[in-house]
Amino acid sequence: MKRTFLKLSAAAACLAVLAGCASGVKYQDMASAMPSLKANQGRVYFFRSSSMVGAAIQPDIRLNGEVVGTSKPGGFFFVDRPAGSYSASTSTETEKSASFALQAGETKYLRTSPSFGLMVGRILVELETPEKAKAELPSLSYTGSLPSTSASK
Amino acid sequence: MTKLNTLFSRLLTVASPLLAACAPMVPTAPVAFTPFVGEAVQTKVLELRAPLELRLPTGYSRVLAMGSRWQAVGRVPQGTVYRPMNSVFSIEGRQVHEAYLVIDHTALTGFYLPGEARFSPLDPSVQLPTGAFQ
Repeated sequence: MKRTFLKLSAAAACLAVLAGCASGVKYQDMASAMPSLKANQGRVYFFRSSSMVGAAIQPDIRLNGEVVGTSKPGGFFFVDRPAGSYSASTSTETEKSASFALQAGETKYLRTSPSFGLMVGRILVELETPEKAKAELPSLSYTGSLPSTSASK
Repeated sequence: MTKLNTLFSRLLTVASPLLAACAPMVPTAPVAFTPFVGEAVQTKVLELRAPLELRLPTGYSRVLAMGSRWQAVGRVPQGTVYRPMNSVFSIEGRQVHEAYLVIDHTALTGFYLPGEARFSPLDPSVQLPTGAFQ
């Protein structure tokens, strides 16, 4: 009886975690349909590897204070923004951020990943090289909405 | 004694990620950046001949990859500013900052943070090995 309960609990825990993973269209299936960049704008990709570790931690991602999406395991999204200075951040028990410059026509890649703090987990945000990001993106699922535009800092 | 060492080692393993949360802020100061224009941008390119490991004041380290190429994009009072070509470079303390190298003659004096228009010094500056760049 105890063993059955443990098995059911484990299955329920797995389902809860899996339910939180990204399940949208794969990058490779939508790459050809990506909208082209407007003049004077750059593109910022946010992505997170597919991993069960810290999967329940899914904070909002902010770009210059504006919520642009959510950090979900196995997910990615992008936003187009005017060239300028930006700070991307996530907030759990503490705020983690990455500052960067975006040039017209440029694409920047930001990886979010779980880490563990004193009380709860946190999601780090860091700049990733195009080479590594492009290798990882095809296996990830789109979690964003249509790209929006707004003024830079 | 062995048990004590094992316990200490385990404590360190657990404490390391927690201590990372207490990482110091990257020291920065405002700086005047003068961008190069036209031909100056195109012609000044450095290529690293061997990997170069840097120890940051925050305790983190970074490796400049062998074969990485850096293009001169401007100047700050502390030296010439080089941006990575087809890649991205960042420094880290409590937060992450995109960074360009600032080189004065043969010394890496620090980093220009383009997202903040600030300079982060390396103190002391790092003497680049002879022939580090071609």
